[in-house]
Amino acid sequence: MSQDLNVGNDVAADASEISNIINEMIICIKGKQLPEVHDLAIAELSKMVAENNLDIRDSNMLSERECVQKILKLLSDRKEEDGKTVSDYFHELHRKLTLINCVPHMRHSLMTHLLSMADNSDDDKSSANEDPRSQGDNLTQILFCRLDSRSSSSSNQNEMELVNRNGAGSSHSYDSSQSSFGFRKQSLPNYLDATKMFPDSQHDVVMSAIYSFTGVQGKYLKKDVVTGRFKLDPQNIKFLTTGQAGMLLRLSELGYYHDRVVKFSDVSTGFNAIGSMGQALISKLKEELANFHGQVAVLHDKIQRFRLVAMSGIGYREDRDSGDELTLFKLLAWYIKPLHRMQWLTKIADACQIKKGGELASTVYDFLDNGNDMVNELVEDLLTAICGPLVRMISKWILEGGISDIHREFFVKSIKDVGVDRLWHDKFRLRLPMLPKFVPIELANKILMTGKCINFLREICEEQGMMKERDELMKVMESSAAQIFSYTPDTSWHAAVETCYQQTSKHVLDIMVGPHKLLDHLYGMRRYLLLGQGDFISILIENMKNELERPGLDVYANDLTSMLDSALRCTNAQYDDPDILNHLDVIVQRPFNGDIGWDIISLQYIVHGPLAAMLESTMPTYKVLFKPLWRMKHMEFVLSMKIWKEQMGNAKALRTMKSEIGKASHRLNLFTSEIMHFIHQMQYYVLFEVIECNWVELQKKMQKATTLDEILEAHEKFLQTILVGCFVSNKASVEHSLEVVYDNIIELEKWQSSFYKDCFQELSARKKLSKIVEKSEEEGVYGLTNNMILQRDQEAKMFAEKMDIACRGLEVIATDYEKAVSSFLMSLNSSDDPNLQLFGTRLDFNEYYKKRDTNLSKPLTFEHMRMSNVFALNSRFVICTPSCQE
Amino acid sequence: MPSEIITLQLGQCGNQIGFEFWKRLCLEHGISPDGVLEDFATDGQDRKDVFFYQADDNHYIPRAVLIDLEPRVINNIMTSPYSKLYNQENVFLSKHGGGAGNNWASGFSQGEKVQEEVFDILDREADGSDSLEGFVLCHSIAGGTGSGMGSYVLERLSERFPKKLIQTYSVFPNQDEISDVVVQPYNSILTLKRLTKCADSVVVLDNTALNRIATERLHIQTPTFTQINNLVSTIMSLSTTTLRYPSYMNNNLIGLTASLIPTPQLHFLMTGYTPLMSDCETKTSVRKTTVLDVMRRLLQPKNMMVSALTDKQSRQCFVSILNIIQGEVDPSQVHKSLQRIRERKLANFIPWGPASIQVALPRSSPYVQSAHKVSGLMMANHTGISSLFKRALAQYDKLRKRNAFLDNFRRESMFQDDLTELDIARDTVDCLVQEYDAATQIDYPQWSPAVEASKAG
Repeated sequence: MSQDLNVGNDVAADASEISNIINEMIICIKGKQLPEVHDLAIAELSKMVAENNLDIRDSNMLSERECVQKILKLLSDRKEEDGKTVSDYFHELHRKLTLINCVPHMRHSLMTHLLSMADNSDDDKSSANEDPRSQGDNLTQILFCRLDSRSSSSSNQNEMELVNRNGAGSSHSYDSSQSSFGFRKQSLPNYLDATKMFPDSQHDVVMSAIYSFTGVQGKYLKKDVVTGRFKLDPQNIKFLTTGQAGMLLRLSELGYYHDRVVKFSDVSTGFNAIGSMGQALISKLKEELANFHGQVAVLHDKIQRFRLVAMSGIGYREDRDSGDELTLFKLLAWYIKPLHRMQWLTKIADACQIKKGGELASTVYDFLDNGNDMVNELVEDLLTAICGPLVRMISKWILEGGISDIHREFFVKSIKDVGVDRLWHDKFRLRLPMLPKFVPIELANKILMTGKCINFLREICEEQGMMKERDELMKVMESSAAQIFSYTPDTSWHAAVETCYQQTSKHVLDIMVGPHKLLDHLYGMRRYLLLGQGDFISILIENMKNELERPGLDVYANDLTSMLDSALRCTNAQYDDPDILNHLDVIVQRPFNGDIGWDIISLQYIVHGPLAAMLESTMPTYKVLFKPLWRMKHMEFVLSMKIWKEQMGNAKALRTMKSEIGKASHRLNLFTSEIMHFIHQMQYYVLFEVIECNWVELQKKMQKATTLDEILEAHEKFLQTILVGCFVSNKASVEHSLEVVYDNIIELEKWQSSFYKDCFQELSARKKLSKIVEKSEEEGVYGLTNNMILQRDQEAKMFAEKMDIACRGLEVIATDYEKAVSSFLMSLNSSDDPNLQLFGTRLDFNEYYKKRDTNLSKPLTFEHMRMSNVFALNSRFVICTPSCQE
Repeated sequence: MPSEIITLQLGQCGNQIGFEFWKRLCLEHGISPDGVLEDFATDGQDRKDVFFYQADDNHYIPRAVLIDLEPRVINNIMTSPYSKLYNQENVFLSKHGGGAGNNWASGFSQGEKVQEEVFDILDREADGSDSLEGFVLCHSIAGGTGSGMGSYVLERLSERFPKKLIQTYSVFPNQDEISDVVVQPYNSILTLKRLTKCADSVVVLDNTALNRIATERLHIQTPTFTQINNLVSTIMSLSTTTLRYPSYMNNNLIGLTASLIPTPQLHFLMTGYTPLMSDCETKTSVRKTTVLDVMRRLLQPKNMMVSALTDKQSRQCFVSILNIIQGEVDPSQVHKSLQRIRERKLANFIPWGPASIQVALPRSSPYVQSAHKVSGLMMANHTGISSLFKRALAQYDKLRKRNAFLDNFRRESMFQDDLTELDIARDTVDCLVQEYDAATQIDYPQWSPAVEASKAG
C-alpha cells in the first residue's frame, strides 16, 4: 500500500480505471440489473476480496489464467446485440486490467470471485436475456458517475478500499436497500426476469405487490422520489388492467407505511424518537417490523413455491385455478390488518419524532384512549416498552437517590452548579416538559421529594442506611412498567412509590425533628429573631444602650457579643437549650453615613449542616423581618425608657416651674401618650396578632406534619404572612408614613432633651439666685445687685422666649406626626387586606382620628379613593418640609 | 439580675397584703415557704429574678423590705411557715414598737426619725440589683404607719431614686362602715398628696369595693382581712404576670405603666377582676368562657375593685385599658372581641386622644390549679376614679371645717405652727380631681393647671 501512495496521481487514475473495469466485468457476468443488486454484488465482491485475500490465494487451486478461461467459457454462450460476445468483451476488460499497474494476487482473487459469481448465478443468468438497452446505458452512466466522484474524493486509497467504500456508500443511497435487509442474504430474485417467464402477468403483479409491502420497488410500482409513495411505473402500466392498477396502488399503501415506520425506526435518519426511552420505542418498532416481515416472508414463500411449481410446468393449470394461488384480491383481504397496524405505528412514530423522555411517553399515552382493541393493545405495548427505562430511572432515584440520565429525559433533574448547601431547596428540580401526562404533578413531587430526601440523608446528614425492604420494593416497581400509566393510581407500583415516599420522608422528618431539633430551632428563631422573648430583647437593648446610640463607625461587633451573652445569661433565655443559643449571633453591618448603632446592629441566627440546607433560604426573610421589628423596639425603647421616663421624673423635679412650662409639658405629655398608644397598638398588632397568632397556626401545622416539606412549607407561609403584617411587603406609602412616624419620635426625643436642658438651666439659675438671697438674708446684707436682677430678668425673658420657640417646635412635630398617622390610617383603611383594615380600626379605637380627619370616615367609594390619593400626595408634600428646614 | 423590683411593705395593712402577695408568688413559681425551689418547678419558664434573688445557697429570697412601727403583723409573719423566706435584715421594726396610733403626722415624723435605718436597707437592696427598675410600695392610706410613714418614704424615695419608677398598691378605706379611725380623712388627704406628687403609678385598692365584692359576689357575710387580702394578692400577682412570665410585650414595669399613664398626675389605676365567683358557683359553668366574655365582664362596674364607677351615662371615661387575660383562650378571638366591644360601645373612651384596650395574654403558672379556665384582670386609667378623691375631700372638708381631731397632729413638728400642710394637700387633691374632670373634656389638651400651681408654689 505504501507503494501505491508513492505513485501518487497515477494510482488515482489507475484506481478509477480499475473500478470501471470491475464494474464492466460484473455487468458482463450478471447482466444488466437494478442498481442496488449491482451494488450489492460489488460490495460483496470487495468485502470478500478484502477479508479473504490470503485464504483465497492459498486454498484456491486455480491460477488467475485458469479463472479467466473458465469465466470466458461460462460467458461464451451469451450474446451481445452488436455481435460482440460477452466473453470477448470480458476478455478485453481483463486485458485492460492486466495492463494497469495492479497487485497480481489481488487480481487473482478478484478473478476467483468473479468466477464463482458467474458460476453461481449461471442458472438465473443464463436466461437473463432481457433487453439491456432499455436501462443499461442509463444504469452504467449513473454507476460511473458515482464511482468517479467517490474515487476522486479518496484518491490516495487503495483500490480495494475504494471498492469497499463504494459498495457501502451505494447501499445508503437507496432508502429501500436498507429496508430489505431481511432479504439481502438470499440473493434477490430478479422479478424483472420473471415477467419473461410467465406470459401471464398475474404472478408478476402479485410479486410486485408483495415486494412493495416491504418497500421494494418492482416492475409496476415505483417510488415517487418526493413523497415516497408508490406509483405505477408509466412504462409498464400498459400491461395492467385498470382493476389491477387500482388494487396495486391500494396494496402499495402498505409499503408506504412500512417505509415510514422503517424510517422512524432508523436512528440515523433523525426522524426517530431519542433517548433511552426513544430507544425502547425504536426497538419495539423494529420488533413490529420483524413480525411484519415474517408475515410477508410467508406470502413470499407461498408465491415462490407456486412459481417453482409453475416453472416446472407440473400441474400448472390446476394450481392456477386452485385457491392456493395468491391473487391481488387475496392480498387485499390480507393487507387490511397489517395496513391498519402500520398506519397506527406510523401515526404514533410520526408523533414521536425527535421526542424523548416524558414527552415521548405523553405522546404515546395520548393514543391509548382508543376503542379499537388492536390499537389499544399496540399502544399499550409500545408504552410499556417506553416506560421501562422510565420506571427503572424512577426506582433508582427513589431507592438510591441516583440519576443516570444522559439523555436528559427523566423528569427529575439535578443541577450541577448548585452546591450541597442548597441541596434541599435548589439542587433537584422537576423537569416539567419531561413529565409524562400520566404522572400527576403531586406524584412527581413525591418522587422528587423521595430522592431528594435520600440525597439529603446521604450528603448532609451523612446517614448511610438504606431503606429496608429496598430490594422488594425495587422488584415490585420494576416488574411492571405498565402500571405507571394505569388510569387509577392504585397499582402495586403506585403503592410502592407511596411506601418509599412515606418511609423516606418520615425518616428525614424524624432525623430533622429529632437529633437536629428543627422545631426547636424554628421556635428559637421565632423567639430571638422575631422578638418573641420580650425580656431578652429588652435586656439586650438595655445592655447595648450605649452602643446603639453611637455613630455607626464606632460600633464593634466583639463588644456586642459579650453583651449578647450577658443578655442571654441573665434572662429567661438562660434556660434555653445551649444548642439553640449558640446559633444566635449579633452582627454589625457596614454603616452608611449618619447611621447609628440602631441602624446597623442586628441579630442573626447561624445555621449549619442539615439545618442550613433546610433554613438557609429563609434567612434573608428573617433578616428583612428583623428590621421593622427591631425598629419598633427601638421606638418603644425611646418612648418609654427615655421620653416617658424622663417626663415622669422631671415632672417632679420641675414642679416649681409649672407656671412657665406647664403648658408645654402638658402638651408634651399628651403628645407622648398619643404616640405611645400608636406604638403600643402597633407592637401589639405585629407581635401578637401577626406573629403570635400565625405562630400558633404554624405550630399546629408542624405538629400535624408528616413530611419535612410540609413543615418547611408552613414555615415559609408563616414568614410570608408576617412579611405582610409587618408592613414590609406593602405599598410604599404605608412604609413611608410609618417611617415619618418613627422619625417624628426621634425628633421628639431630641426636642425633649433640649427642652429639659433649658428648663434645668433655668431652674438651677433660680436656685442659685434664691440661695444668694437666703445667704444675704442670713448675713443681713442686701446681696442682690441691680445687675444681677437685670441679668436674671434678662435670662428669665430669654427662657420664656425659648419656651415659646420650643412650643412651636413641638407643634411642628405634632402636626407632622398627626399627618403621618392620618395617612398611615388612610392606607390601612383603604387596604385590601381585611386584617390591615381591622388594624386601622384598632389604632383608632375610640374614633379620635376619624373625628379629626373627615377623610378617614368617608366610605370606600371611588371618590374617596381618588381623594385619598390626593391626600396622600399632600401629606407627603407637607412631610418633606421639616427636613428642608434642617 | 436586670429589671428588678423592690417591694416595700409599710404598716399593718401593707405587710398583710404583702405577705399574701409573696405567698402567692411562691406558689406560682414553685418556691417552698422556706425559699427552696420545688423539684417540680425546675424547668424555668418563668422569671423569678424580678421579685426574688438567690442567696449563696440558691434559696430564693424576696426583694422585700418589711417596715412597721408596731411588731404585731411582722411578728405574725415571722412565726408563719414563711418566716425563713424573708431576709431578716430587711425587716425594720420601730424600737419602741408603739406604732403611729393611726396618726399620719406621727407616722410621718417617725419615718423621718428612722429614715437612716430604712434607707440603709433600701440602698443595700438597690445596690444588690443589676439594674433596678423600680419600687413597689404596699400600704393603706388611712392608717398611721402605712399612710404617714409611707408618705415620708415616698418623698424620700423619689428624691433619692429619681430615675426609678415608684408604683404603689394603696388600699383606700372602706366607706360603707364607720371607721374607728376618726382622723382617717386627714390621713387620706395627706397621703393622697404624696401619691399624686411622688408616685409614678398608684394601683387603687378600694376596700369599699373589695368588701362589697366579698359579700355580694362571693357571698361571704362578714369578710375577714385574709379573704380580702386574698383578693388583693390575686390582683397584685396578676398585674405582674407579664413581668414574671415574659413574652413578646409588657415585660417591664415601665413598658407596662407607660402606656396606661398619659400625664404625670393621672396615674391612679383601678383594677377589675373576673371571674368573681364563690367556689360553689364555679362548678356549674354553662359554656366555654370566651375572650369576649372576659372582656365584657371586666368592663362591668360590679367586677371593679374600685367603688367609683357610676353608670354609663356619666361623662366619665377610660383613658386607657390593659386587659391581662390568662387561661385557655384562642388568641385569634382577641381581635374579634375588641371589635365587638367597639361596635357595642361597651367602653367610653376619652375624646381628646387615641385610646383603646390593650390585651396581654401571659402564660399562667403551671403550679397553681385554678378553678377557672379563664381569668382576666383589667388595669385601667379611668377618670371616674376621681369620685374616690372627691369623697375623701368631702369627708376632709367636713372635719376641717370644725378643725376636729387635730390635736394629735399639732403635736408633731410639721403641724406645730400651722396647718398649711393640710391645706396644701387638700389643694393638690382638689387639683387632681379637677384634672380628672378636665380629662373628660375634649379640650383637655388646652387645659392648664395654672390655678393649682400658684397656690402650691
